Amino acid sequence: MKRIIIIALFLGSVLPALAQEKPKIYTIASPFERYTYYLATARYTVAVPMGSFKDNYIDKSSFQNASISIEWVLRNSPVSIGGEIGSTYFEKRVPRALYEGSEGTISAVQTRTVSQYPVELFANYHFLPRNAQVQPYVQVSAGASILDYTVYYGTLSSQDQKVRFKYGIGAGSKFLFKKDGNVGLDVRVKYDATAYKYDYIDKGISSVSGSIGLFYRWW
Amino acid sequence: MFKKASFLLLIVGLGLMSCSKDPISDLSNEESLVYITNHDQSANFTQYKTFSIVDSVLIVENTRAGTSLDDIDRAMLQRLITNMEAMGYKHVGRKENPDVGINVSWITNTYLNVYQPLSSYYGGYWGGYGYGYPSYYSYYETSESSWVISMLDFKNPQTTPSGKTFNAIWEAQIRGAAIGDQKLVDKMADSIFGQSGYLKIK
Repeated sequence: MKRIIIIALFLGSVLPALAQEKPKIYTIASPFERYTYYLATARYTVAVPMGSFKDNYIDKSSFQNASISIEWVLRNSPVSIGGEIGSTYFEKRVPRALYEGSEGTISAVQTRTVSQYPVELFANYHFLPRNAQVQPYVQVSAGASILDYTVYYGTLSSQDQKVRFKYGIGAGSKFLFKKDGNVGLDVRVKYDATAYKYDYIDKGISSVSGSIGLFYRWW
Repeated sequence: MFKKASFLLLIVGLGLMSCSKDPISDLSNEESLVYITNHDQSANFTQYKTFSIVDSVLIVENTRAGTSLDDIDRAMLQRLITNMEAMGYKHVGRKENPDVGINVSWITNTYLNVYQPLSSYYGGYWGGYGYGYPSYYSYYETSESSWVISMLDFKNPQTTPSGKTFNAIWEAQIRGAAIGDQKLVDKMADSIFGQSGYLKIK
């Protein structure tokens, strides 16, 4: 097989006229058509807070998010399933202000933070054939978020750490760099929500994020 | 192949988790300060006209106590007097029956922590025996200091079997990493009065 490819490449380079006729070296479909294959993606994400999380706690976008996922693109099916783990971090500095509490009046520069380590399972539905060079998809995901809520008053902190349910829905597309290749680009927009209630956060942590990633697939 | 990939995933995942964030490393000394004030809701401050203040700062460290009057203490006492006068109170000596007294203390709480290093892997030095036993303990201390300024009601003493006691009608705490910064003393004193407008009697 390999030898045939090398010969074909050789012929292709020395005899461009012949190469244009494209000798049929694949007599059967690509393995990516025939088998369930694996696909790993690393993403960098920008997230924008939403809803009451944005109104009551942090309204600043976050540029400190990343994730990696691994999935099985199932044979004879438009569906892939997999798992994703990531890290997201929101932060906002509030200039010195007065806070009335049970302890009295507190004057402090507040630093609000939430960091999450989501661990999720997801399913993708692809609209185009599984080996197409452009593969738009929609995604649903659910899992757990290992979260840390810390509000700093000056250098003093008030912290809460929990593991909470989270889910997400997204849409995106994969773009293979070359037809039938192994490597490509992944672009995704996703809505994420984590069930959490504490202190400033009354209706969960929700955000919309856009990510760009690189993927590698193999079989 | 897949096993290898998931192992890699795990390693990268742990790598992501261990990225520690220090969101307050960029706070300036002034920004690190926290002022906490509280007062007796039932107190009517207009009944007080005069005040006295301690002549040195009470230093309380865990169960030990002493007094101190170095530059920063003197600066703090002086600025508190300035602020009290600005609020409308008259500074009098302690023997002239002041209506309220200002107490100033510097309180340090020190905690002793013990940890037992994981020595069975690190301490190859100890050879085979001692395995599973902690070879030694380590100690480290953490401490936090704060200024505590309180106003005592000398006008309405409480009489108890053990003698007279005075209620604290106002208390201010100054906490944070930079409370020992002498350049910030004026700012600290001004801030605790600035957020306690109810003290104003003129």
